[in-house]
Parts: sequence; C-alpha cells; structure tokens
Amino acid sequence: MEEPLKLLHSVVQAIHPLDQADWEALSQIWKPFSARRKEIITSAGETERYVYFVTDGVQRIYYLDDQSREATIAFTYRPSFGGIIDSVMMDVPSRYYYETLTPSSFIRAPYTEFKEVAYQRPAIERMLRAGITQTLSGILERLVEVQCFSSEDKFRNLLKRSPHILQLVPHKYLANYLGIDPTNFSKLVNKVRI
Amino acid sequence: METINKKELLQKLDDAVEQHISDAVALFQNRNDEFLNKPSATGGWSIAQCLDHLNSYGHYYLPRMREQLGAAPPANAEGFTSTWMGAYFTKMMDPETGKRKYKAFKGHIPHSQLDSASVVREFIRQQEELLYLLRDGMGKDLDAIRIPVSILPFIRMKIGDVFQFIIAHNERHMQQAKRNLVPERIF
Repeated sequence: MEEPLKLLHSVVQAIHPLDQADWEALSQIWKPFSARRKEIITSAGETERYVYFVTDGVQRIYYLDDQSREATIAFTYRPSFGGIIDSVMMDVPSRYYYETLTPSSFIRAPYTEFKEVAYQRPAIERMLRAGITQTLSGILERLVEVQCFSSEDKFRNLLKRSPHILQLVPHKYLANYLGIDPTNFSKLVNKVRI
Repeated sequence: METINKKELLQKLDDAVEQHISDAVALFQNRNDEFLNKPSATGGWSIAQCLDHLNSYGHYYLPRMREQLGAAPPANAEGFTSTWMGAYFTKMMDPETGKRKYKAFKGHIPHSQLDSASVVREFIRQQEELLYLLRDGMGKDLDAIRIPVSILPFIRMKIGDVFQFIIAHNERHMQQAKRNLVPERIF
C-alpha cells in the first residue's frame, strides 16, 4: 500500500501541490484492488462508485452499441487515474464498460469519501479541477486526431504518447481505438518501423 | 485418478494462458511477416505455423466448450478427477513430461506460407476466449461435461481434461515458437 500511495502522491503533486495535512486526509481513503486480464470492472448500466488510480496494467473504456460493435474510447495505465469519470461524478448509470486488458492493480477510493475531503479542503477541490481540466484538454486533442488525422498519423501519435503499448496490448484493441481495420493496423506496424 | 481442487486447477491454467497471451503480444504480434513465416533453424515450423497449428485445435474445441459450458447447470463441485486417458493425453503433450516428438494429425498440419498477422491475431483472440471459458468453469461441474476428442471423436473427454490437454499442448508449441526467436547458435 505504501508504494501505490507514493505514486499517487507524486501524480497529485504534479497536478496541484497539496500540503502535508491535505495529503494525509486524501491518502486515508484508498484501498488496494486488483483484477486479472479481460475482467469487466464496471459494466454499462451500473453506476460507478469508485475513483481508480492505476498502479499496474492497461485498461480500456469502451462503448458497446446495439449491434454489439465496440468502440474503444480510452486506455488507462500506470500512473494515472481510471474509471468511468462521468458516471462516478454525476451519479448516473455508466454508458461505458471499464475492462482490464492485462492483469491490473489499482488503489481506489469511494467517491462519497473523495467528495467529502474535497468539500472540506479547498486545495483538494482545486487539484480535482486541475486534473479534470487536463483530462478535458486531452479529450479535445483526441477529437482533433479522430476527425483530422490519417491512419498513419494516428498510429504514429499513439506510439509517441504510449511507446510501450504495442508490447502490452493486443493489436485489435489498438486498431479499434484508432478506428482502423485490424488488417490495416498490421500493415502499419510493418511499415512504420518502431 | 486422484481428485484435485478445481479452483486451484483452473487458477493454474488461467496463469498458463495469461503467460501465452502476454508472450504472444510482447514477442510475436509486432514482428513482420517474413520473420513470422521463417522456418526454424533446423527446418521445423515457423512461429506462424506453430500458432496456426494451435488455432486449428482451438477452432474445433472452443465453440464446443462454449456451448457445453453454457448449457451445463450451475454446480458447486469442489474437486475434479482426471480420467486415466485424459491424464495420459495431458502428460504426453506437456513439454515437461512428454519429451518425444509426434507428427501432427491430418487437418492440423499448417501451411508453410501464412498470413502471419491474422494467425497471431486469431491466436490471441482464442486465448482470450479460453480465459473466459476457464472462468465459466469455476461455477460448473468439470467432471460432468464431456467433449468429443477432435482426432478420436468416439471418445468423449471430460472438459476438465480438455482444458488441461489443450493448455499443455499450447505450452508445448509456444515453447517451440519461442525457440525461433533465438538466433542460430554458431558453437
């Protein structure tokens, strides 16, 4: 538990520095959690109660449409926050699935408790706002990529952002995330030498 | 045969499949077509051929296992007992206990030039499905469900033995495939 909290501390400090008392309050609410490969952590229709912080493994958030087609929205991995953020914060049923793609470890905190410390401690509230703003910025960037980039540019961008992901995640999920046919994805792997 | 703890058995098999997937992802999926289709240093199967051979068994067994597991009633059986023949097949295929070489059966002999990317993709897909089946098995009676053996369809093997047999067989050919990663020794 000490190592995951240290990791969380360094990530939190980079988002918005907290003083000792604030950090101590925040660090109290986390418990370890783990899952093997290909386990659903949160299902569509279920309201997410936890905020996750990933300490190991790769996970994805995906949408499943009425024809059983999957759309991989995002990957999460160490060291970052994870989970279905809108479901947990708005207290509404999730429209997405949160699934492990490799064996995974987390620490997680009930959102009710997170909300409580944030309510009592303005610095934590500010940290939360700064963290969400960064996430929002990342999503806008991704929308540009989805709408404007060629397959090859999307592929190169993915490798720039997450260079190790090709050795960790089966190609089909990466192809799905980029909106490329798996066959074309294999061609890109062969063409763009890593 | 001795009765073993079902949960421990399935956990052990889950760990083996996990290793096969992470190896395929880390070691095979990013290699080019030429490398994956290259015969072994001794003229044996390429990596793609090893995986295609395994896929041909998965192609037979996985849909049958899925169907039988889905149809079986929930059961809280805690043990599993191999049949003599099931244990014999597993021992024969396990690279630790079955050292001799066997010829591949008709219908399971891979071509020499394969679409290697789709072979690797299919292998990973099958292994992910196998994980789901093992987890399904937790709540089922592995002694009661039986699957006809691919090469001897008049023999119906317990699903607990089929799991052990195909995962030992996967291990055998994953080891063979991984030997192709080592450059030819010159001494």
